[in-house]
Amino acid sequence: MSPSPTVPKVRIKVAGKELEARVGETILHALWAVGRGLDIQTGCAGGVCGACTVTVRFADGRPGGTDLACLRPVEEGMEVFPFPVDTVPTQPPVDRPDVDQLRQAYPTLDRCTKCTSCTIACPMSIPVMDSVLRMQRGEFEQVAEDFTTCIHCGLCRAVCEDKVRPHHMGIWVRRSLGMAHEHPGSGEKDDALWGALLSDNPEERLQRAREIRGSGRIA
Amino acid sequence: MEWASDSLKKVEATREARREQKLPPISEEASDSLLKQFHPDQTGQERAVRIGVQSGKLHGLPQLMELLEADSPVPQGFQPVPEIETDVLIVGGGGAGVAAALVLENSGLKVHLATKLRIGDANTVMAEGGIQAALGEGDSIQRHFADAYVGGHGNNHPELLKILVEEGPDAVGWLSRLGALFDRNEDGSFRLRPGGGTSAPRVLACRDVTGLEIMRVLKDALLSGNTHLLEHHSAVELCDDGAGQVTGAVLWHTDSRRLIPVAARAVLLATGGSGQLRLQSFPTSNHLGATGDGLVLAYRQRCRLLHLDSFQYHPSGASFPEALAGQLVTESIRSTGAHLLNAQGERFINEMSFRDVVAAAIIREVSEGRGVTTPSGRQGVWLDTPLIDRLHGKGSLARQFPGLIHRFRRYQIDPEHHPVLVYPTLHYQNGGVAIDSEGKTDRPGLWAAGEVTGGLHGTNRLMGNSLLDIIVFGRRAAESILQSLPTRSATTLSALNRFREERSSLAGVPTEASPRLFPEVSKIRLELEPSVPGNSPVGDAPSSGGGGFEPPDPFFKG
Repeated sequence: MSPSPTVPKVRIKVAGKELEARVGETILHALWAVGRGLDIQTGCAGGVCGACTVTVRFADGRPGGTDLACLRPVEEGMEVFPFPVDTVPTQPPVDRPDVDQLRQAYPTLDRCTKCTSCTIACPMSIPVMDSVLRMQRGEFEQVAEDFTTCIHCGLCRAVCEDKVRPHHMGIWVRRSLGMAHEHPGSGEKDDALWGALLSDNPEERLQRAREIRGSGRIA
Repeated sequence: MEWASDSLKKVEATREARREQKLPPISEEASDSLLKQFHPDQTGQERAVRIGVQSGKLHGLPQLMELLEADSPVPQGFQPVPEIETDVLIVGGGGAGVAAALVLENSGLKVHLATKLRIGDANTVMAEGGIQAALGEGDSIQRHFADAYVGGHGNNHPELLKILVEEGPDAVGWLSRLGALFDRNEDGSFRLRPGGGTSAPRVLACRDVTGLEIMRVLKDALLSGNTHLLEHHSAVELCDDGAGQVTGAVLWHTDSRRLIPVAARAVLLATGGSGQLRLQSFPTSNHLGATGDGLVLAYRQRCRLLHLDSFQYHPSGASFPEALAGQLVTESIRSTGAHLLNAQGERFINEMSFRDVVAAAIIREVSEGRGVTTPSGRQGVWLDTPLIDRLHGKGSLARQFPGLIHRFRRYQIDPEHHPVLVYPTLHYQNGGVAIDSEGKTDRPGLWAAGEVTGGLHGTNRLMGNSLLDIIVFGRRAAESILQSLPTRSATTLSALNRFREERSSLAGVPTEASPRLFPEVSKIRLELEPSVPGNSPVGDAPSSGGGGFEPPDPFFKG
């Protein structure tokens, strides 16, 4: 099951130091292979926790930028720089959200100069800047949709020169809408069945459980 | 995927004919025999542990038993003079730990949450498919129990399972009031999907990023509260008072490589699972830190462990591209109608069978020569993702599974048009630390919640019951701590010392210390900063009065 040994190699640089990597692997796995796993902060290693933020430059001169080390495959001549983003305190959501309340929680909302840096920085392809403009207009349902796959890596916040905090506002909107929704009830139950399901006899418990799976009742 | 074009043509050729095809549920006999022959738990390699409270009685794979028999990384004679004194120390920053921390907020207790990585860098955030709660019409709490009990082969602890299912609706309500957004139907009701082995639709989801949604809501709530956060602090040992009560932990700080003793009145172990041990060379869907630390720490404190011979190999880990090997491809794609196909384009199992059965069926196909081999030498079967749009309309796959699409498109694979190749991946630690209905372990002062515990799921867990577990039992453990917080007692390493004594009489014990903290493949190792006095053996221990009680500015909050 291990990768074949004939995989071609490339040279990359991470934090200024060169290493050899196998074509097809990610920056993160290349670092692991040479014992440099702590060079880039890591969490899930699967593209959803946002820990391993980096900036990347390519040898062929095409635009580089921010990305996740666990998802970006290596390529010849690539230069990588760790770009960890600090976790900072957040503002609590409200249960009837409007733009003024969002502005109160995150006063830099209106400082967006439409430079698009946040959208370019987002490793999840979220239209971050457009969504900030939607926040200003109070189009919260669409904002919630935009931020569905946000991994809170913080890159949009880190690259913003005007201290706008898009991902924090995104989750503020999502949570506020969630709080405003109707919440679930208590579900149906048939407590008379517990006697059989919790019988002292393990065989009987299993048999009763099989019956209930079939019909919802004991046969 | 030129290398697979022959097989892909067969998949496409059978697609239309398969649309309406119904496979019967697998019979109990067939399923038993499949598991016996092909499930990775049944390879017969287990052995008994040779040390500790369950010596000769607890069985598991040798790799796991070695971890339990290994020495601690804490140097001989290390004095656990507390640098931090707190009321509650939560170890683990995933869903269970953070849910507990939120319950303890505003209790007036000082709470520290220590985590190896950052808050939220955990298996919770990687969970995709959903969370179970019996909220549907025609469903019931008892049906939920029955499904989980049969799926767990009747090895579930009935009392724990009853609590899980009874508290399901309330746990989802709690998340909903915190602002978690679950998918809804047009009429505003929750959209419920089936999962493998559910007898009614019961799985709530946020697209295919349910764990991410739950974790980011919990994390956002935690970050606006007053819990003291100790990120990049791994627990490497538990402290006790010499009379059987757990009283703190020794943490290892990744950046300074120092050991930091913490004194606490209660410790909650919420350290998660162990997929990164990559048992039997399986790839894993787990995060970097899932190395079974909690099992090791609890066992040294003479807590019992359950079902360590049972692991969940999730049927659908990615097999291609190599960079995604082992990563989860959510079960809810099968719930939504996608078929599993062998190299010939044939279905071979009812896709909604229990997870262990589906995993065994995939392994059977591959081991009998009906799998597909990738250029890297991995094996797999097809998950026919393009079928989703055929069944539910164009754009359905992308709308419901944005995480999947995003991940594969980076590698020029479009699951809307091409099936994805999958093979079982080490996903979940079914067993773990024994707890009672309050989350108490065998030792006073020590609670446990979430994947680190055992008994609840028996020997096979159903989709959506783990996200529920962490919320129900994370909250429950915190409530129990509030009810029965022990008085402060001495912080010593006497359990460790006794363990070491017992170990010294054992031949052929492993030399590498545990907990390992990081996977073998990452080559990251616990190292101690030699120039720091506290890291040296006794004699060099700090002579100061010790017990500096204010935390050294943990994180960004004082």
